[in-house]
Amino acid sequence: MMIELTSTPIIIMVILGIAGMIIPVINVVRKEQGSSTFYGLIAFGALLLSLGYVIYRFYTDSVADAAIFSSDVLVDDGFGSFFAIAMLIVSIMAVAGSFNYMRDKSNPAIYFSLILLSSIGMVLIAFSTDLVMLFVAWELMSIPTYILAGYNKKDPSSNEAAIKYFLFGALSSGIIIYGISLAYGITGSTNIGDVIYGFSNLSPDMLPIGLLAVGMFIAGFGFKMGLVPFHMWLPDTYEGAPTPITALLAAGTKKAGFAAALRVVIMGAAALNLDWTLALGVIAIMTMTIGNIAAIMQKNLTRMLAYSSIGHAGYILIGISLAPFSGLGLQASLFHILNHAVMKGAAFIAIAGIVTTLGIVHLDKIKGLGRKMPITAFGLVISLLALAGVPPLNGFWSKLMLFGSAIDATSVVWWAPWLAIAGVLNSALSLAYYGWIIRKMYFEGETEKRVKEPASIVGVMIFSVIFMVTIGVYPEPIIQFVEMITPSMTAVMP
Amino acid sequence: MSNELIEFVLVSVALLGIGIYGLAVKRNAIRMLFAVEIIVNAANLNLVAFARFMPHSGGQTLALFSIAIAAAEVAVGLALIIVAYRMYKNIDIADFRSLKG
Repeated sequence: MMIELTSTPIIIMVILGIAGMIIPVINVVRKEQGSSTFYGLIAFGALLLSLGYVIYRFYTDSVADAAIFSSDVLVDDGFGSFFAIAMLIVSIMAVAGSFNYMRDKSNPAIYFSLILLSSIGMVLIAFSTDLVMLFVAWELMSIPTYILAGYNKKDPSSNEAAIKYFLFGALSSGIIIYGISLAYGITGSTNIGDVIYGFSNLSPDMLPIGLLAVGMFIAGFGFKMGLVPFHMWLPDTYEGAPTPITALLAAGTKKAGFAAALRVVIMGAAALNLDWTLALGVIAIMTMTIGNIAAIMQKNLTRMLAYSSIGHAGYILIGISLAPFSGLGLQASLFHILNHAVMKGAAFIAIAGIVTTLGIVHLDKIKGLGRKMPITAFGLVISLLALAGVPPLNGFWSKLMLFGSAIDATSVVWWAPWLAIAGVLNSALSLAYYGWIIRKMYFEGETEKRVKEPASIVGVMIFSVIFMVTIGVYPEPIIQFVEMITPSMTAVMP
Repeated sequence: MSNELIEFVLVSVALLGIGIYGLAVKRNAIRMLFAVEIIVNAANLNLVAFARFMPHSGGQTLALFSIAIAAAEVAVGLALIIVAYRMYKNIDIADFRSLKG
């Protein structure tokens, strides 16, 4: 059965692909450099159109609920639509945050074009049901971000960030393709559904190879997700890359890693019938503890938030590791993925605004920022409080669901309560360093004069504050939406 | 599993080991890039060898995709390394110290 031409992934690919190709062509035809805002608006419009199409398809009930498998290479299901919505929101925020950043930089056309191409990759990862498609989409997402991370050619730290990111990224795709080759060798197919069916009927002497393949998938996707043994590139890259790109990496490509991992690893590991959950639980605790402890010691805002984003990958992993024992687990993880995309995107865009107007990222120099740039500072405060999980904001509900799923699974597995305890302790720890930033911004420094804030950053701040407060006050519709798109684990459990 | 297939897989595993050794030990950016390419080629060898013993040729298609993608990746990587060379006159990643860690 061929996938329909009007299905979500195809249309998004066409919209974003045409816009991404046409921007450099316009740049060549117009001859002069032109204003970055013009190219930015094309990219912004294309992304907004795609987001509108995903939501339109979803509300007209044209998508399947959560068909994890399909005989085709792409499937138009709710699970993919959910990730597409999260990642398109992040791309829109990154493009809007770049308007001001790119004002006096060279080659704005290529910059916005690469963001669009990378977004196509992220969206296609969420929809792909074949390992070939998944690998191609993975590379389509990664290769533009290597260039974007090194976009400030004259800046040594941007170049160093890009080289580190490139070497680890290339290693991760090498490991993924090796894992795919093993999975293909023992099951004879590259379709994810067939591979998992093959895994669950594996002869015992082939089991170690299946285990090796799943381990290689975890390592390969784990590099992008920033799980703890594979996180060393992450703080350097996030610090050195242009800050709007950091928002795209932290909130976008990281979530694409989770989408790929959910499609392949979780289902594959469940089919192999292994005791994999404890291993993921241990990784979850290590990831959140190391991320949060390292964040306390940082003096650079970007680097601090980079470590905090490692910590959040750990929270998301709590729900995934408990998925077979508690129905709440996977839902909570997906809900936190959406929330974290918006919270972390907003925080990095706020920092991008601070960097472009004042040129500071050091923690000691942000004194009195609440009076210099009131709207940006307010947006940053709300997103930091949401990241910490303070009650009337969206981060509170997803953390509550995550820790609730751990309590819920206590009767089945003995180590589940420890996940909840580690999560609560880490949230308290993270509140300490978020509170430190807030204190510096509002309660220190002399009376400073207000400076003019870039309009695009103000727009992003207003959108994300509304998003975080609305979901925080009235979370039911989103929770129902997440329930609807969550795949059922029982479908693949042997 | 026939004996010939075992030989291919052994070569592929050896290549994987060489690649990981190169990444772990070498500090020259181009050598590390080569090491990554050796890993990708080990996977390609695996795919083609498995496809030889299967009724359909899906693995060979994937190997072609992977070769094309690896070429794109190398183009980006070499561009980044050239920019680094212009700045530092050196491509030893141990000397890139503008960021800590």
